[in-house]
Order: sequence, then structure tokens, then C-alpha cells
Amino acid sequence: MRLGGDEMVIGIKDATKLFGVSVIACCAVLVCTMFFNFYLDVMLIEDRILSEQAMMFYHAQLSTAKVVCLVSGGCLLITSVIMLLFYIKHYIDTHRKELGILKALGYSKLKIAKNFWVFGISIFTGTAIGFCGAFLLMPAFYGLQNEDNILPEITIRFHPSVLLYFVILPTIAFTILAIFYAYFKLKQPVLTLLKDSLQTSSKVKKNKDSKNKDCLFIDELRKNTLKRKKTLVFFIVFAAFCFSAMTQMSFSMKDLSSEMMGAMVLLIGIVLACVTLFLAITTVINGNTKTIAVMRVFGYSQKECCKALLGGYRPMSYIGFAIGTVYQYALLRIMVDIVFKDIESVPVYEFDFPVMLISLVTFIVIYEIIMYCYSEKIKKISVKEIMLE
Amino acid sequence: MKEEKTTIDVRKITKFYGSGESRFQVLKDICLKIEDGDFAVILGASGSGKSTFLNTISGLERPDNGNIFYDEKDITALSDSELTEFRKENVGFIFQQYYLLPHMSVDKNVKMGADLSGNKDYKAVIEAVGLGEKLHKYPSELSGGEQQRASIARALAKKPRVLFLDEPTGALDEQTGRQVLDYIGKLQKEYKFAIIMVTHNQNIAEMANTVIKMNSGKISEIYSNEVQKTAYEIGW
Repeated sequence: MRLGGDEMVIGIKDATKLFGVSVIACCAVLVCTMFFNFYLDVMLIEDRILSEQAMMFYHAQLSTAKVVCLVSGGCLLITSVIMLLFYIKHYIDTHRKELGILKALGYSKLKIAKNFWVFGISIFTGTAIGFCGAFLLMPAFYGLQNEDNILPEITIRFHPSVLLYFVILPTIAFTILAIFYAYFKLKQPVLTLLKDSLQTSSKVKKNKDSKNKDCLFIDELRKNTLKRKKTLVFFIVFAAFCFSAMTQMSFSMKDLSSEMMGAMVLLIGIVLACVTLFLAITTVINGNTKTIAVMRVFGYSQKECCKALLGGYRPMSYIGFAIGTVYQYALLRIMVDIVFKDIESVPVYEFDFPVMLISLVTFIVIYEIIMYCYSEKIKKISVKEIMLE
Repeated sequence: MKEEKTTIDVRKITKFYGSGESRFQVLKDICLKIEDGDFAVILGASGSGKSTFLNTISGLERPDNGNIFYDEKDITALSDSELTEFRKENVGFIFQQYYLLPHMSVDKNVKMGADLSGNKDYKAVIEAVGLGEKLHKYPSELSGGEQQRASIARALAKKPRVLFLDEPTGALDEQTGRQVLDYIGKLQKEYKFAIIMVTHNQNIAEMANTVIKMNSGKISEIYSNEVQKTAYEIGW
């Protein structure tokens, strides 16, 4: 954040903090571009389809492309919006003093909010990489989609509408969203912004803490941390959901689709899960640095700090994993029973328990490794953190 | 609060900050003894090293040289986890900016300290600082003085042997500052813990039995007050 004469409030550096949004946007656009471009190109060959079997396969391919585009695109779009809004709110909360000073100096809300356009860069970066990546993968993808040559040769064409829908429009929409959301959040009075965030952010509901008289402080803090940042709970659940759904789907798909598709889904699932988990936990730790420092000053151990701040997310992640398991089963069931119902030689799809078990164990291992890394980070938080102010 | 006699014996501690050409000495061969139940005030100008000294003798920072004994235990030889355990069992802290957890009520903030010593009767301390009626209020609903009293209750609820205070009245007006100091003075007489307080307000030194003046990383003067004044008897 700069307060100089160039009137730049937020720098490009701040936009890089939305790395998670870029990754999600990249994954969404990669998948959607491939399938939507394929959808448009396949539609162009309808006249050349002669056999009934090929026509059924043609319709199945169109339906698959539509379903994948809508489901993955929609799901990742919602996540990107939530993540963007969360980070703008987080940015305003952590820079409230500077923003308060600007407002006190006479800068209008709109003038300050306009600077939030830079967050659109993260969307542009993600979508552009996803778009280019999709075109790189497209030759292999088209080949695999028509592996048995049931359909006539499908030529890869560049459709400007795909660029418009998946790169230009999202960038513009997210930029406008960032500006208007920042404008909305900056409606707070100057004095509220100028007050210490540690004190002002305590507009909390009267929790039920008074009823839990015998509840230990650590348990109370754990519940409190969960209740305060519900968005972070969503991200943790989402991360586990992505991991569960996509890893299981990738293995279950090997009979229904190509290995390449399976590998791609697996990779996207792991990347999305790890990035989201990493960003969510980083936000928890960064948002509680002072709480950790006070606890450490008073003599709470690293393990106790970890338990209080991160322990509550573990059950949430298991819930996310369970939802992901159900989701991937339901999605593949729908694909097999409805989309491919008229296609011959579609393999029977059953719930794969061993794959679910392997996925669960892998998830637990990865989750615990990440938690261990963060507990080491907590160890490094200086107890002097609060003394230096 | 615990029965053992506490003596802090600081032996020739030195502390440096920075490295290379920017390395400078903050504490220079400081020696000091604090007896159980002492009320010691450390006075000094900004940059004299008083806060670093407080952090070091309370186990928040390690000295580069020298030793700090609590009874017979040298805390400079403790590992990080042992030092955490030491702080848990022995010391309480009160800061200028209170540092109450904003999302938790007074009750829960004080419980943070109480749980460390297994103190089930911590509400008596909240009553003692006059916040019995504000048990379920959040820090943002309290005045500055009330927040500082809540932080006193939090520190005392863990039954410390030594209470460290870093400019506890620095953010308070005179009337509230006197009220907070009055509570601290009365509670010390009742619970018999040692107090080590850093302040730039020379008048507060009249409440102490030991006054330590620091200048440029050294103790320039130590003297004892024959008569300890109350918070309402000192100037401001």
C-alpha cells in the first residue's frame, strides 16, 4: 500500500496474494475451455455423422462436455468469488488503519475502492494461463475423446467466444466485483477504520460461552476460532472435498474415460486441495499471531496453541472428504445412468471402496504433514511479537 | 501465591541487537537481586534498555551472556519448551496495550490465565479487580481502565510468583491510571507476589520499595523507598 502522490493504494504485489484465486481460476478455465471448445468443434461435425451409433456417441459427448463445464466451472466459479471477497475483506481488515488515514485525508470511498482493480490481475493471470494450457492440451484431449474414431475427425478451432467467456468476461466481472465489494466494505466510519483491528473486530455475537462454564480455555478458543471465520471453514471443507472427489473420480474414471483425463483430474484435485488448504491455514495463523504470542507469553505450549487454533478444522476436513465422496459417486452415477445410457459397452460403475480408503489415508497423511509444518511455524512466532509495539 | 521464597538473581547479563556494523549492546553487565514480594520499578528514558531487561529477566528473551536464577534454577540454561513451562508456572504479564483476546468475554480472557494453574476459583480475582458485573462483556465493551483491570485479573488468575508490567498505565488517563495502580498495589499485598514494573513515570516509583534507574543499557542507580506510597498519594 502506498500513500504517495501517485494515489496508488494497492500495489501489484498485493494482487499476488490472491495466488489461490489465480490457481482456482486457472483450473476452472483449463477444464472449461477444453470441454467448451470441444463442444463447439463437435457441433460443427454434426452434418458429417452418418451412423446412428455415431450420432448417439455425438450426443453423449455434447452432454458430457456440457455437464463437466457447468459442474466444474460453476463449482470453481463460486469458490473463486468467495475467495476473492474473502481476501478483499481480509485486506481491508489488515490495512484498516492506512485506509482510515486515506479517508481522513479526504479520499472518497470510490477513489480508494477503484484501486482494488488490481485484484482483477490475479483472475486474468489464472484464466490466461488456464486458457493457454487448455490449447496446449487440446490435441491430446481431442484424440482421446474420439479414440475409437466413432466420430469423423474433429479439427481444433479457435473460437473467440471461448476467450470472451473464459478470460475477458471473468477478468472484467471480477475486477468490477472487487471494486464494488471494496466500496461496500469501506463504508465504515473513519474512526472505526482507524481503531486497532484487534479491538474493533470484536463485534461478535454473544456466544454461548457463558453456558459452558467448565469448558477449558483452549476448547473455548477452538470453537471461537471456528465460529469467527466461517469462510475459512468453507475453504477447509472445499479443500477436502476437492481432494476426495477428484482423487476418487480420477481412479473411477479410468474405465469410463481416458488415463489422461484421470491424471488431469487427479492433478487438479491435489493442486486445488493443497493450495486452498495452505491459504486457509496461513490466514488462520496470520490472523491469530497476536493471540499465539499472548498465549506463548503466558506459558501455553506450541502444541496447545496448535490445538486451540487449528484443531477445530480437522473434523471439518473429514466432513468435506465425506461430501466429496458422495459427490463424485453421484456425478459418475448420473454420467453412467443418464448421459451414457444409450451407449453400448459403457462399463458398469460401482462405488470403489478400496480407492476411497486409499484416498482417505493419503488425505489424512497430507493434512497432518501440513498441520505439522504449521505447528513449526507457530513455534517460530516470537513471544516478543506483541512486546515490540 | 506459592509458598516458596522467590529470589531473582541476575548475574552480569549482556544483550546485543543487530549484527555486523549495526550491532549494538542493549544491556551491559547488569546485576540485580529481587526478593520475594518486592515491588520493583525500573525507570529510564526511551532506549535505555528497560523493556529489553524486563523481557530478558521474564524469560521472553535470552541474554547473550550472564545468568538469571530463579531460586536455584538458571533460566538461561533452559530449552524453549522448558522456558515456556517456566513462564507457565512462575510469571504473569501485564502490557500497556492490554492484549485481551477481543472475541472472548472477560470471563474467558481471565480463564486463559486460570487454566494454566488449574485455578478454578478465578472469578474471585475478577471480583477483586471490580469487574464482577462485567464478566460476560467483551473487551470492546469495556473502557481502557476496565480492560487493563481485566488483563490484571488474567495475569493474577494464573497465580504468578512474579508479575511483570510494561508501562501498565501508559495508555490510561490519570484517574484511571491511579485506579489501576491501586488495584495492583492492593492485590500484591494480598497475594504477596513480586512486582517488576517498567515505567517512564517517575512518580510511580514512589509506590515501589526498590527503584532501579537505567541509562544506556546499564543500571545507573538503585535505591529503596523507606515508605511506599499508595496510588492516590503519589504525584502524576
